[in-house]
Amino acid sequence: MKKEITEYRMMFIGLCIVLMVASIFIFAKSLSQEQSGLSNEFLTKDVSETETVFPDIVQEKEVFALAGKAKLLELQTTYSSRERTLSNFYKRRAYPGAPPRIPHEVQQDMAGGNNCLTCHDNGGYVAKFSAYTPVTPHPGMENCRQCHVPETTETLFQETDWKTFDPPEIGRSALHGSPPPIPHSLQLRGNCLACHGGAAAVREIRSSHPERINCRQCHVKKNDLHQFTVKRS
Amino acid sequence: MENIKRRKFIKKTAAASAFSATTGLYPGIAFSNWKASDSLSDEIKWSKTPCRFCGVGCGLLVATSNGRAVAVKGDPESSVNKGLCCVKGYHTVLALYGKDRLTKAQVRKNGQMVEVPIEEALDLVASKMQETVKEHGKNAVAMYGSGQWTIPDGYVASKFMKGAIGTNNLEANARLCMASAVTGFLTSFGSDEPMGCYEDIDHADAFVLWGNNMAEMHPVLYSRILDQRLKKKHIKIIDLTTRTTRTSYADDKTILFKPQTDLAIANAICYEIIKNGWINDQFIKDHCSFKTGKTNIGYGLEEKFKFNDQAKPSSFAEFKKLLNDYTPEKVEKLSGVPAEDIRYLASIYGDPKTKVMSLWCMGFNQHTRGTWINNLIYNIHLLTGKIATPGNSPFSLTGQPSACGTVREVGTLTHKLPHGVVMNEKDRQFAAKIWGVPVENIPDKPSNHTVEMFRSMDRGEIRFMWIQVTNPMVTMPKLNRYRKACEKEGRFIVVSDIYPTPTTAVADVILPSAMWIEREGMFGNSERRTQHFNQLVPPPGDAISDAWQIIEVARRMGFEKLFPWKEENHIEEIWKEYRKHHAGAKHEMAPYEELKKRPGIQWPFVNGKETKWRFNTKYDPATKGYDPKGKESFDFYGKKDHRAWIWFRPYEPPPEIPDKEYPFWLNTGRVVEHWHSGSMTRRIPILHKAMPHAYVELHPADAKEQGIYNGDPVKLTSRRGTLTLPASIDQRGRPVRGQVFVPFFDENYLINELTLDAYCPISKQPDYKKCAVKVEKG
Repeated sequence: MKKEITEYRMMFIGLCIVLMVASIFIFAKSLSQEQSGLSNEFLTKDVSETETVFPDIVQEKEVFALAGKAKLLELQTTYSSRERTLSNFYKRRAYPGAPPRIPHEVQQDMAGGNNCLTCHDNGGYVAKFSAYTPVTPHPGMENCRQCHVPETTETLFQETDWKTFDPPEIGRSALHGSPPPIPHSLQLRGNCLACHGGAAAVREIRSSHPERINCRQCHVKKNDLHQFTVKRS
Repeated sequence: MENIKRRKFIKKTAAASAFSATTGLYPGIAFSNWKASDSLSDEIKWSKTPCRFCGVGCGLLVATSNGRAVAVKGDPESSVNKGLCCVKGYHTVLALYGKDRLTKAQVRKNGQMVEVPIEEALDLVASKMQETVKEHGKNAVAMYGSGQWTIPDGYVASKFMKGAIGTNNLEANARLCMASAVTGFLTSFGSDEPMGCYEDIDHADAFVLWGNNMAEMHPVLYSRILDQRLKKKHIKIIDLTTRTTRTSYADDKTILFKPQTDLAIANAICYEIIKNGWINDQFIKDHCSFKTGKTNIGYGLEEKFKFNDQAKPSSFAEFKKLLNDYTPEKVEKLSGVPAEDIRYLASIYGDPKTKVMSLWCMGFNQHTRGTWINNLIYNIHLLTGKIATPGNSPFSLTGQPSACGTVREVGTLTHKLPHGVVMNEKDRQFAAKIWGVPVENIPDKPSNHTVEMFRSMDRGEIRFMWIQVTNPMVTMPKLNRYRKACEKEGRFIVVSDIYPTPTTAVADVILPSAMWIEREGMFGNSERRTQHFNQLVPPPGDAISDAWQIIEVARRMGFEKLFPWKEENHIEEIWKEYRKHHAGAKHEMAPYEELKKRPGIQWPFVNGKETKWRFNTKYDPATKGYDPKGKESFDFYGKKDHRAWIWFRPYEPPPEIPDKEYPFWLNTGRVVEHWHSGSMTRRIPILHKAMPHAYVELHPADAKEQGIYNGDPVKLTSRRGTLTLPASIDQRGRPVRGQVFVPFFDENYLINELTLDAYCPISKQPDYKKCAVKVEKG
């Protein structure tokens, strides 16, 4: 009896391995096909440069190869003029850490209620805006327009003399290639991948390895680095 | 607070090199739109403060650098908001930096406002005040402050007007927003302010919102309710309203009722509760007594209107009999609420297993029967014994950061003292002793409440008014009359503010004020929580705090002995003196040192412990039989009979009802983006850009009937004024048919030129929610 189960198990695992190898093969092939179909200089340039980001440990190369392809895939799908950039990211905030304004038209409350989360809970491509939807970093909060408001005019009531500080520097790794620390507060920003992972991530701060979801295993808050990390006494 | 050393702020050149790797990858990326400050030092300090805006009193952490506020986040240690803010809170600090900030004093010379040194302006205020008292008597001078005064500002104002000058002509704009809540508490419990606290939200099973658009007006608390509903699936939110709002879209049930009929609905709920035997007999027997008051009490529309209510002892039997006029069927006809829905509401309140929290704000308070409707909601909670325990909570919300702290606790109203009322000799003696003034200084009769104060100004009895931190030339009802009153010959108006407003436009002297974190102070929020903030940034130009302006003027008038404090520690000294008024278990305030340490402390603060639920023997040290480990019981010690009073209050119609000539109801209120008259929030770019102007909201069917489309100009006319403003159809909210809604934040569309100055005869609070208008395509 026991023996039979073990045999079945072995067969199953073997089948799985065969399927996995096959699927990887098909996947990789489709990727290379797609890539060859794109003669875009931006893409090729980007990929060659990002290679240096990966650890230079030879025996680890195979492990990261697939991750590299995942990134390639990501870059392909997000190559559009509507990609989120840090410049826009900060333009929509009064200061680093402020709730961003809503950058697109929204339905008025009485025209069907507050449906922000229909898109911003799960993300995905929205043809209307030719863009990927950023996912909320604080799921479970329903009264979105308590903090996020649209812009209905560009004029001001009175001029302002408001000033704030520069956004945190990027590329703060202690050593070349080491994981950079987290330069901001995690308050209401617990879901790292909302801004850092996937197609809707901000281009300059997009993680090269979104499949490793335990972000804080390697990235730690560095308290003396930037004011946004600071806890009061 | 600790100073935070961090790596140097990135200077522009450094930023360029820091981003070099990125720009290499993504040519053309630059942070050209980021308006960074080069002058900021490399040190950032985060400090706690309550929010500047509403009465929720969210704890904020404000980042300052090189004398400027540069960022905000919610204070995770504040039990009020637990780290979350609303869009106004997140952008509060921007309110400091409008380019047209008042930084110099101005004095009217030959009809023109001229900048003068602040000393000169203060001299003029003092001499003008003295001169007016000499020529026209003490009651010819008045001070009109606000629930945005810090506690020390209000305390200094009270001591100055009532103790030093000797007039009760001291009012605050909280008369326009909180007075009915106060008289509601006093008539039912004999002690002002809620028995419960925000923590009730975490314990309640059902939330009934009475005329309260919480999603926009108290968003942080509404989010807390929504969060509870997400966690516990059984929670119900019922929105009883005259207008469909953002709150209605998130609730479980919306019940629309006709204006003013909340009185009848509340009575019908009581009728049903009694009829079905859902009352808590023991609780009523042990802790309640029944009263009736005067009826047909008027609306305060007459000059020098006077009214005094009289409590007559009543009984449960009489109460029950009087309620017979309020069967659900009868009330359905009056209110438009199906009898079935009234029974549903009664069943929620009546179910002994359901903990119910009732919440209200301006819908109840700005009501010609504001005191009554406050009484009626307490009736429901008292009949069922659902009060003063975690989750069972009738909760009166507030609109201003220190309406409770400054106006209600300090007592900056004509009839009030920091402890007690001017009519009571013992209270006068008590205040006079702490103030160090002869008791005769404090007049024993209230003089003018807010509406009457402006009427007195019109009539010429008041000649001098000092207005601080409020904008009555936007917010007074029947505005045309009161603006003309201020502009009359022989009136002298002093306005302390931070920006030019329609009120500074009628001023003879403008004093530039230091606002919020530009000075030290305390606010008191809706749940009896006192919150201290340090001065975090210097005020601009010659601006000084409202308290210090009053102290400077008082000293110039010869009252220096009453205001002996040094500038460095006057807030601490004032707090120490003020605390004496509240000594004792019923109202004990936290010591200054404790206030500085914590995000906020609830009073009564006795033996180092906050009191979350008053009148409950398990939590409130002022109760007879107080025992934290014992069984829950109650002692309503505010009243001499140690009972809560259940008042029979009938339905009475409002003074102005739509008719053939003026067929629409006009309702006014706020939007989430703007706060009150908008003088601060409109100067915050993100808020103004989101909500740049006021509008008139119509029901789509009413609009269609008149051929009005979204954005069309619409002319509104009442018996008092006319205003043309853009139509808003099915945008932010939807009024019921026959009603229009206009927000009041926009000084370019002064809706209060149309509103009626009728008020609740008991609280003297005007009703901004109901008057009659004509609607025409403009």
